[in-house]
Amino acid sequence: MAGALLVGYDGTPGAQAAAGEALRLAKPLGVDVVFAFAYWANPGGGEIADMLTALREQGNAVLQEALGLAEQAGVPARAELVEGRPSSGLVDLADEDDAQMIVVGSYGEKPLKGALVGSTAHKLLHLSERPVLVVRA
Amino acid sequence: MDTVTPAGAPAETPAEAAGLKAGALGFISSLVIGVASTAPGYSLAASLGLVVAIPGIGLQAPAVLLVAFVPMLLIASAYYYMNRADPDCGTTFSWATRAMGPWAGWIGGWAIIVADVIVMANLAQIAGLYSFLLVGWQSAAASTAAVTIVGVVWIAIMTWICVIGIELSARTQVGLLGAELVTLALFAVIALVKVAAGTAGPNAVSPSLSWLNPLAIDSTSALIGGVLVAIFIYWGWDSTVTVNEESENSSEGPGKAAVLATLILLGIYLIVSVAAQAYNGTQELIDNSDDVLSVLGEQVFGSPLDKILIIAVLTSAAASTQTTILPTTRTSYSMARAKALPESLGAIHPRYLTPHVSTILMGGFSIAWYVGLTLISENILFDSIAALGLMIAFYYGLTGYACTWYYRHELTTSVKNFFFVGVAPTTGGIILTWLFIKSCIDLSKPENSESGSSWFGIGPPLVIGIGFLLFGVVLMVLWRAAGHRDFFQRTQEIAQPGSLEGPPPSHPAETAGVA
Repeated sequence: MAGALLVGYDGTPGAQAAAGEALRLAKPLGVDVVFAFAYWANPGGGEIADMLTALREQGNAVLQEALGLAEQAGVPARAELVEGRPSSGLVDLADEDDAQMIVVGSYGEKPLKGALVGSTAHKLLHLSERPVLVVRA
Repeated sequence: MDTVTPAGAPAETPAEAAGLKAGALGFISSLVIGVASTAPGYSLAASLGLVVAIPGIGLQAPAVLLVAFVPMLLIASAYYYMNRADPDCGTTFSWATRAMGPWAGWIGGWAIIVADVIVMANLAQIAGLYSFLLVGWQSAAASTAAVTIVGVVWIAIMTWICVIGIELSARTQVGLLGAELVTLALFAVIALVKVAAGTAGPNAVSPSLSWLNPLAIDSTSALIGGVLVAIFIYWGWDSTVTVNEESENSSEGPGKAAVLATLILLGIYLIVSVAAQAYNGTQELIDNSDDVLSVLGEQVFGSPLDKILIIAVLTSAAASTQTTILPTTRTSYSMARAKALPESLGAIHPRYLTPHVSTILMGGFSIAWYVGLTLISENILFDSIAALGLMIAFYYGLTGYACTWYYRHELTTSVKNFFFVGVAPTTGGIILTWLFIKSCIDLSKPENSESGSSWFGIGPPLVIGIGFLLFGVVLMVLWRAAGHRDFFQRTQEIAQPGSLEGPPPSHPAETAGVA
């Protein structure tokens, strides 16, 4: 549904906080929530089949959790596995779904560490044309 | 989104633009991954001196580089066709397990892991050495302790980078690789110009076509020894054919990228080796086999600019460390998932989505191995590379045989299949097997080894290579004795009839969808 809230979800505390916030906002806005698990493996290393399978398993498990949260909150939701680098993957999915905003969690790391370690929230703030909501764990 | 187009040009829809971009980026990415994975700058820095120093090789080093390419090219065909069977199939561990059964697969995976851990010693050594040379700290560069410390730090940082999963953007990788290649090319051109002008070193030699002639090498042992070191130079190039990434045109992309990568690599290696030995003769290379490029760089480029060559070697080593750590951890991860190794190695970090346990463990082993080798080896660079050559010959050969065996019923379906899937990989395998056996024989007489040193009366590389393989066999048997039937009772598979006809199956990633 257009105008949905897209949550980048990976099961970590930040993502859980983001999910909570999105579910809280969904009702008054009257929109659905889409949980997306974005994953990517460098093709250069070989044995990529096992990596991708493992990542998808992880994604599915984690998304089931998220859907459970949505059910508890009584918010209509759906889950998506996105293959690709998280920041661009979420942006592309948001475009496809015409999402209202992207919601992600943050670890509250220092900005330099976030930039070094590659925090998705960090990148989204610069890449996304749609509003991005960053929720602290 | 509005697109501004030049008058008269048809507007690209965003979808078309994305498709074109994916195709083009896929080709360049494949090319970059292939060339960067062989790390030309680092490879030359590490091995050029060693090849030239082998008694009997001398000026024929370029010929050795040419010859070493042949088995690699043949085996690349195996990688291409095994990858085609199932684009996400993997590498030697998965393929050998499928085609030849769990025991072959296990030892193949083990050989990959060992190869990567062994080479880390070499990488760390070069990184440490060249880091000090970059800042001009000669006394530290000459000190084993200092170089080792920097080397260990290097391994630790690279391991950490792989655990976190930090990746350079495609553009940055292209830029770095481009800079590396341009620097090497510049070095070669300037050196050759100076040789022609007579302003090169006092022992300069004019390049001659005979340098490319392998038949001019009198002793087969010398040629074997040279090729053993030189196959390391091309190691990693097969990743061009195994990368079926964003390219829309999977059946075309890797093939063309691989061919182009070949030409680029061969060209660079030949030109640089010719220029390096022409500049001031072979003795200079032999005397400075540890840091050939920095010594020559100083003479060819002159004082401040020679740092560019050192930087090129360092960035090359950094890229190579990553492309070395990745296959090791992927293989051990896959083995753990297949229950061929302890399950704990099959863990994925919840945030970084990397096989962190495997990665950290491999990093630890690499550091332990590197420090250990520093303490007992007289010539770390040579010992590590020659041992590595044995491992590469082993598992690349295995891959070649696995490919032909897997497709054995499809070989007669067409002449092309017969040659590319049958003759080529098997010939590559045979060449490498012969290389392996002959090297073992030669290395068993320590007076043949580079440094003449010997452990237990045998040349160090042989002790390392065979030692690790035997250790692997012991571990494998123990693992089997502890049960793990799931893995060891897997049966051989064979290619589906007709799997070599028609377009390759689509990348499974394209069908990944909704949870």
